[in-house]
Amino acid sequence: MQLITANNLSYSINENQLFHNLTFALDSGSGLHVKGGNGSGKSTLIRILLGLTSPTKGEVIFPEPSPFISYLGHKNAIKQYLTPLQNLDLMLDSSSLESAMTWMRTLGLARVQDEMTATLSFGQQKKLALIRVLSNPSDLIILDEPFVGLDDSSRDLLSKFLSARLDDGAGLVLTSHIDPQVSCDELILREKEDV
Amino acid sequence: MVLVLIAFPLSIDVSQYDLNKFYFSIIVISLLMISFLATESIFSEDYEDGSLEQIYLEEKDFYKVALTKISIYVFFIGIPMSLIGSVFSFANGVSADELPKIFVVLLFSTLILFNLFAFGSALSLNKGAMLGVLVSLPLTLPVIVLLGRAVRTIQYGEGFLEVLALLLGVGLILMAIMPLIISATLKTHLE
Repeated sequence: MQLITANNLSYSINENQLFHNLTFALDSGSGLHVKGGNGSGKSTLIRILLGLTSPTKGEVIFPEPSPFISYLGHKNAIKQYLTPLQNLDLMLDSSSLESAMTWMRTLGLARVQDEMTATLSFGQQKKLALIRVLSNPSDLIILDEPFVGLDDSSRDLLSKFLSARLDDGAGLVLTSHIDPQVSCDELILREKEDV
Repeated sequence: MVLVLIAFPLSIDVSQYDLNKFYFSIIVISLLMISFLATESIFSEDYEDGSLEQIYLEEKDFYKVALTKISIYVFFIGIPMSLIGSVFSFANGVSADELPKIFVVLLFSTLILFNLFAFGSALSLNKGAMLGVLVSLPLTLPVIVLLGRAVRTIQYGEGFLEVLALLLGVGLILMAIMPLIISATLKTHLE
């Protein structure tokens, strides 16, 4: 089943064309690793796929019914004045909370679950934000630089989780400067060279 | 609000002025200031931490979020403000019979003001509060005029229900429409 289709996507900003006539489709069980240099439009492409940003040209098509999407971008969407437990309660349905608690223990956050999120390190906050993706039974996972801030063991865990979700039939789109170690097709966005 | 309402009579010579006649204006000004300050960051925290993006992915618009937030502000800030304003009116010569009328007028006014200032706050997200003030403040002027009219009807006992109905009607229309406008405004910020 096709989870997402992009037709002739183009995006320009301030007379700068980031990408032009991108066309691709993502099936269940397949992944897409979007690569490119800084400013090449990776995050913008992700935001266009999610509908957060409108393309200059082209369209993104989802099947009916729309797939359940989990997304983690540059912002973690966690509340600094709540504890990790309270944040999970806010983020997730009751059906996903048990899975979230298991991930809290696996990622070493159980010992800080009752501390203010503001007191956690960048990496710990990133792990907390990732639990939304790890716990939700999503059809399509979209991640923008998910490995930034994670220690080696957490990166391995995340790579294994993503591979397992692909085997289960989920779709994956991610951007990463770090090799995700997940079997994915590649889409390379090239930065325009200065003339 | 309490600070303004206490400090004002202390700062003037009450023997020279009839405080009853213009004290309500002080309450209205306080209400205006509090409504603006309370809603200044109604959406900014969610925008800055990325929660708005997650909400958009689930809901595809911000209508429910805007409506819920404004309702919560009216309930938890508007009602206490209206109560405080009523009590201070009583403390300045307004009769006990008129207190419920003043409370209701103030409450319906906060309903309108919170909607207007929430729109200004959504407009000025990440761009400084001045834009929001410049847009919202002119829209509040008719509300202030209507409030003044409501006070006169309370003082003279004629036409109060008509003015109250007008305040309520405008408030309910804004509660229905403003979240739509705010939703579209927030979406443009995400772009």
